[in-house]
Amino acid sequence: MAAALELRDVGVRFGSFDAVDGVSLSVHAGEVVGLIGPNGAGKTVTFNVVTGLQPATRGTVLLDGRDVTGAAAHVRTAMGLARTFQVVQLFAGMSVLENLMVAAHRFTSAGVVVDALRLPGRRRALDQARERASAVLAFLELSHLADVEASSLPVGQARLVELARALCLKPKVLLLDEPASGLDPAETADFVALLAEVRSVLGCAMLLVEHDMGVVMPLCDHLVVMNFGKVLASGTPSEVRDDPAVRTAYLGAVPA
Amino acid sequence: MSTYLALALGGLAIGAMYALTALGIVIVYKTSRVFNFATGAIGLACAYLASTLSAKGLPIPLVIVLAVSLGVTIGIGMELSVRPVKSTLTKTIVTLGWLLALQGAVGWKYGTQAASDQPAVLLESTRLLAIGPYILSKDQAALMAIAVAVVACLAAFFRLTSLGTATRAVSEAPDAARLLGIRVDRVNLVAWGIGGGISGLAGVLVTPLLGELNTTTLIIFTVQALAAALVGRLSSLPLTLAGGLGLGVLQPVVNRFMQTEFPSVRGVDELTALAVVLGALLLFRSGGRRDVAAGGLEPVPVKPLPSGGTALALGAGVLLAVLLLPLLLGDTGNLSRYNLIQTGVWALAVLSLVLLVGVVGQVSVCQAVFMGIGAYGTGIAASHGVPFLLAILVGAAMAAATAALVGLPAIRLEPLELAIATLSLAFTADRFLYNWTPLNGGDTSRPVPRPGFAEQSGAEIASGDRAYAWLVLGIFILAAFAVASLRRGRTGAALTALRSSEPATAAMGFSVVSVKLRGFAASGFLAGLAGALYAGLVGNASGAPFDFTRSITLLAYTVIVGVGSVPGAVLGGFIVTFSTLSFGASDEVARGETASQVTFLTGVLLIAVVAVRDSGVVGRVRDRFRSDPPDPGPLPEQREPLLVKAGL
Repeated sequence: MAAALELRDVGVRFGSFDAVDGVSLSVHAGEVVGLIGPNGAGKTVTFNVVTGLQPATRGTVLLDGRDVTGAAAHVRTAMGLARTFQVVQLFAGMSVLENLMVAAHRFTSAGVVVDALRLPGRRRALDQARERASAVLAFLELSHLADVEASSLPVGQARLVELARALCLKPKVLLLDEPASGLDPAETADFVALLAEVRSVLGCAMLLVEHDMGVVMPLCDHLVVMNFGKVLASGTPSEVRDDPAVRTAYLGAVPA
Repeated sequence: MSTYLALALGGLAIGAMYALTALGIVIVYKTSRVFNFATGAIGLACAYLASTLSAKGLPIPLVIVLAVSLGVTIGIGMELSVRPVKSTLTKTIVTLGWLLALQGAVGWKYGTQAASDQPAVLLESTRLLAIGPYILSKDQAALMAIAVAVVACLAAFFRLTSLGTATRAVSEAPDAARLLGIRVDRVNLVAWGIGGGISGLAGVLVTPLLGELNTTTLIIFTVQALAAALVGRLSSLPLTLAGGLGLGVLQPVVNRFMQTEFPSVRGVDELTALAVVLGALLLFRSGGRRDVAAGGLEPVPVKPLPSGGTALALGAGVLLAVLLLPLLLGDTGNLSRYNLIQTGVWALAVLSLVLLVGVVGQVSVCQAVFMGIGAYGTGIAASHGVPFLLAILVGAAMAAATAALVGLPAIRLEPLELAIATLSLAFTADRFLYNWTPLNGGDTSRPVPRPGFAEQSGAEIASGDRAYAWLVLGIFILAAFAVASLRRGRTGAALTALRSSEPATAAMGFSVVSVKLRGFAASGFLAGLAGALYAGLVGNASGAPFDFTRSITLLAYTVIVGVGSVPGAVLGGFIVTFSTLSFGASDEVARGETASQVTFLTGVLLIAVVAVRDSGVVGRVRDRFRSDPPDPGPLPEQREPLLVKAGL
């Protein structure tokens, strides 16, 4: 069975600088892979190559075995990719429920004319989207926030809502960009527990970029460590933790 | 070949004036990141003053000093008026208010019809030197020398004086500059003053070259300055000079070529400038430069539309129906049936902008152009025997297609850049599009016969008008209903999301391109419909009602009534109609004095309204009568460039 997400020898070059140089990794359904590394290692660029915001200079991105290297972000979403953002990007001027409905509309269809003239399809599209959004809110126990203006939420709740919004897309692959940044330790622990539950219930593949080892270690099945655009090490969390090259990259040269 | 070369060299002098006008824009933009659209209007005011003064026999140097002083004064006044406004895009819209106010004030004082006064000729045009066919006159040489001298002085100012250094600091990081003890407001004041003075000087010097002094030519002239300023990337003084000179050289060559190949095409100079504007905007973006964007990144300051689409549409409809009541009941008394119907048409036009600005979150300073295309499109369809109700749909569809085409660059452009592009288009439409044979059929207007049930024939005039009024009212209610419904539906969700974050919207599976284009097309469709109905009202399609002033005033009224307000559109329509009424003595009307007074008041109103608040009349009243829900407050101010935010 093909991996839910696979990168083959991906490279991104800015001028004469290789931001990402020959990165390969794969994430299978039900698996959580963590992408870690020091600042400037190329994690975020790699992440953006996966989402389609950053075109790859070389290499291939496969979703469920299909080549999406040149596909636009919204096309990848339609193929089962969902993401959250490093700086939460909820839609301002909309309630939490409406935020989720934007995502849920991926499974509805109603064009400008249908919407504008209130033709029959409009009601159906709105009902379907609201139903799905409400179900996801209930699953994450966020129903009480449904009517709250999204931009007024504190960051902890905003992260949960953003996760909920991504889940409305029924993702096969869920990308999380530093999901714990801005959260306090208690919130982080809750968020990790929630992600573990999401993984076991939904069984989607997850790739997360994260600095916080408290998130990465308990959650990930597999870690990929990047440094200077290259994959420095990969393996289970304990293997990676004991790798001397990783320690050097993180802590500087340690005398033997 | 040598003819073309002589032509090209002959364009250098006017090119120097493009550059000079552009410098007025660049100075202001460099410091305050505000795009001064009124630069041509400042030139206009100063040119009229110079013409008056020199006719009175004042010595030329004194005339120049006084005219430039007026420019400086206007610049300072503009700075003071935009100071309390937060968003640079809104500040830029305020400069459109100044454009209207200055154009109106000049027209009010002097009349809009061609040159009641001759331009002040301040420089002799005797021959300085001639080599073969190349002739350089004294005034041409002087204009070029002045432009170069101004560039040199400004460069020295920025490099050598402490105020100049402070100006550069303010433009890079206003808050950091403030913390360093630089008085940012004073720096801005100086920059606007200098900018205004330069704009004024350019206006005074260029009028003899244009050979006419009226209230439109010098403002349309702005499009060339926009082109030169954009070539200079809104920051480089030498590149701006080069851009102006280059455009000056290019235009006569292109003009001659078009005259030979396509003699029927008019407005070639403006078309050339428009091409440069669009090219510069799009090219400089792909080159990774985001200078232009830096000033316009804040979201359009709007509140989301309230819920309850049906109630809203019906409310707007009832409001309009009340306005139209005397007509619908058949007793118009002293009111003109024509003006009453007009109100509905203009309300529809304002509604199309409410959709674009309030829902799609984009700015268009060329909405009247879409109306014009709707009107001509209806005329073209009608000339092929298409029945009226179908013909207006054809016209509206043509306008929708044009709007989508205009929206195409909007995918790449920030709102400020889009404002520049659309205003350039509005200027160009006046000279090119409305004189384009395929559109107007070789005449200035195309007949647009009304539908049979609303014909004005013999004794049936009143009943025909009544039927037409019902038609306009019905279409407006349907459109208001559609706009309100759209906002609450699937497309509306995507559009609102898009205003907040493009990457996140794309991550939800919506194509940013397609969503934006659909928004533009829908707005263009409504504007086109309004243009078509206007054509049906007056019985023909022509460009005059849809000139650039109309485009700007439509945007002004939309901002004045509140960009997110559907019922506000009715009020907007009423104001437009009011603005077309003819008051005063007939000779004053003929000289365009009343129209100018209205333009002046519109500009002043826009400046005042924006300065006082960001919402609109309707929004303010609504807030007063409804204490809940609490005002969610303005959108977050700290919007970084979206791609930066996304981690790129």
